[in-house]
Amino acid sequence: MANLLLEVKELGVAYGDVRALWDVSLEVEEGSIVALVGTNGAGKTTLLKTISGLLRSVHGQVLFEGEDLANLDTKHRVDKGIVMVPEGRRLFQGLTVLENLRLGAYLPKARAGYDDSLERVFSLFPLLKERKNGKAGLLSGGEQQMLAIGRAVMARPRLVMIDEASLGLSPILTRTIFGLIVELNTQGTTVLLVEQNIHMALKVCHRAYVMKTGHIMLSGTGEELLANDDVRKAYIGARGSRLL
Amino acid sequence: MSVFTQVVINGILLGSMYGIAAIGLSLIFGTMRIIFIAQGTMIVFFAYLVYWSFVKAGIDPYLSLFTVVPFAFAVGLGMFYLIFRRAAALEDRNVSLLLAVGVMYLVQNLILKVWSATPRGLDLSYSDAMIVVGGLRVSWLRLALVGLAVASAVVVYLFLKRTRVGTAVRAASEDMEAVKIQGINAVWVCAVSFAIGIGLAGVAGVGMATVYNFDYQYGFTFAIKALVALALGGIGNVYGALAGGILLGIIENLAAYYVGQAWVEVASYGVFMLVLIFLPQGLFGRGGLVKKV
Repeated sequence: MANLLLEVKELGVAYGDVRALWDVSLEVEEGSIVALVGTNGAGKTTLLKTISGLLRSVHGQVLFEGEDLANLDTKHRVDKGIVMVPEGRRLFQGLTVLENLRLGAYLPKARAGYDDSLERVFSLFPLLKERKNGKAGLLSGGEQQMLAIGRAVMARPRLVMIDEASLGLSPILTRTIFGLIVELNTQGTTVLLVEQNIHMALKVCHRAYVMKTGHIMLSGTGEELLANDDVRKAYIGARGSRLL
Repeated sequence: MSVFTQVVINGILLGSMYGIAAIGLSLIFGTMRIIFIAQGTMIVFFAYLVYWSFVKAGIDPYLSLFTVVPFAFAVGLGMFYLIFRRAAALEDRNVSLLLAVGVMYLVQNLILKVWSATPRGLDLSYSDAMIVVGGLRVSWLRLALVGLAVASAVVVYLFLKRTRVGTAVRAASEDMEAVKIQGINAVWVCAVSFAIGIGLAGVAGVGMATVYNFDYQYGFTFAIKALVALALGGIGNVYGALAGGILLGIIENLAAYYVGQAWVEVASYGVFMLVLIFLPQGLFGRGGLVKKV
C-alpha cells in the first residue's frame, strides 16, 4: 500500500448561502494519477480551489501527508508542493514564456531548484524552449497548455492538480497533452486530474471519482468506471468519447 | 518658428510633471484596478513636506529627494496595509475608489489645517537660473524636472522588467488569482506597486515644490491632469505614461500661446475625450484603459 499523499475528508464548501460541495471525500496515493470527472457545475473546480487554499471550507478536512492544511494559505500549500494548473490555463499573456516559468518558481525552495526545473520543463516540452522569449499570449492552444503545466512543474510540486487540460484542444493535441501528463507522472509527480473528457481521463488514471452536483457519486479504478453502465450511459456517448 | 519651439519646450518641461504622476497612477491601477484619485493630493502633501524642510531646516529641495521619496514609499506601504488591504481583496472596485476619494479629502483637509489655505512656493537662490541655447531659454529647475521624470520612468521600467517582484506586478495586473495560484503573496505585490506609486508622488512633490505655487486644493486638478496623461499614453506602459504627460504639457502650452490661456483646460479635456472615444488604448499603450475582451 503506497502512501496517501492527499486525503480529503467530508469536505463542505459554500459560496455565500449557495452550497457547492457536500461531504466530499477523496484519496490520492503518492505516485498515482487520480481523475475527478463529472459534468459542468459538479463542483470539481471548487474542490481543486479548496485544496489549493483559494476557497475556504465550511467543514471537513484537507490532509496532505497527514497534516491538516486548514490554517495554511495558498502560498504555504504551494510551498508544500500542492500546485494547481487552473482551468483556462490562466497564463500571463503579456509576459514571455520564460517569465511565466520564473513566476512558477517564485518561492525560495522552488527558486533554489530553478535551473533543474527549467531543464525538466524544457525536456518535457521542447517547444517551449524554442519560444522561451516569445509572449505567452502568442502560443497556440496546445503550447499554452504545455506552458501552464510547465509553470506548475517549476514550483517543484509533489501533487499537480490539472483542471481541464483538454479544454479547447483538438483530439490529437488532447492525446499529446495526456501523454505528457502520464510522463510527468512516471517521473514521480502525483497528478489529480479534473476532466470533462471522461473517456480519456478514465483511460490514463489509476483511480477515479465521479462527481455530480457537489457530491462524489462513484469511485473506482479507471477500468471499473469505464465498464460501469451508469457511467457509460450518463457521461460517455455511443461513440465512446463524447462528453456530456 | 523659434517661438513655436520655445512653446513646445515649455510644454515638455511642464508635462514631465504630469508624466511622473501618470506613471504612479498606472502602477496603482495595474494591481488595484482603480484610478487613484488621491495621487495629486499626495503630491501636494509631499510638496508641503519639501517646502517645510526648506523653510524650517534649510534643506535644498533636491536634497530632500533622499528623505521625502523613501518616506513617501513608507507612507504608501502603510496606507496600503491600513486602508486598502481589505478593499483590494473585494470584487467590487468601488470600495477602493471611494476610499481613495476619502484619502484625498482627508489629506486635503490635513494640509489645510497644518499649512493654511495660503498658496506656497519656494524661492530658491537658483530659481531664475536659465540656460540659453540658440535663443531658446530653459529654466534649469524645469530641465531638472525632465531629468527627474525620465529617471523615474527608467527606474520603474527596470523594476517591472528586471526584478522578480516587478514581474509579479506585471502578472498581477493581468490576473491576480493566477498570481496567487503560483504561491506568490499577492497582498505584498499589491502593496509594493502601491508604495512605488506613492513614492513617485514624493518625486513629483519635489518637482512641484521647486517650480509651482501650490495650495491644498491643487491636488485634485493635478490628479485629473495625470489621468488625462495616462489616457493619452495608455495604461500599462511606463514610457507611454511619461510621453502622455509630456504631450499633454505641449498641448496645454500650445493652446495657451496660440488660442489663449482661457482655452487651456478646454483643449486638454477635449483631447482627453477624443482619445478615449477613438483610441481607448491610448496613443502608445498596449493595454489601454479598457482591455479588449
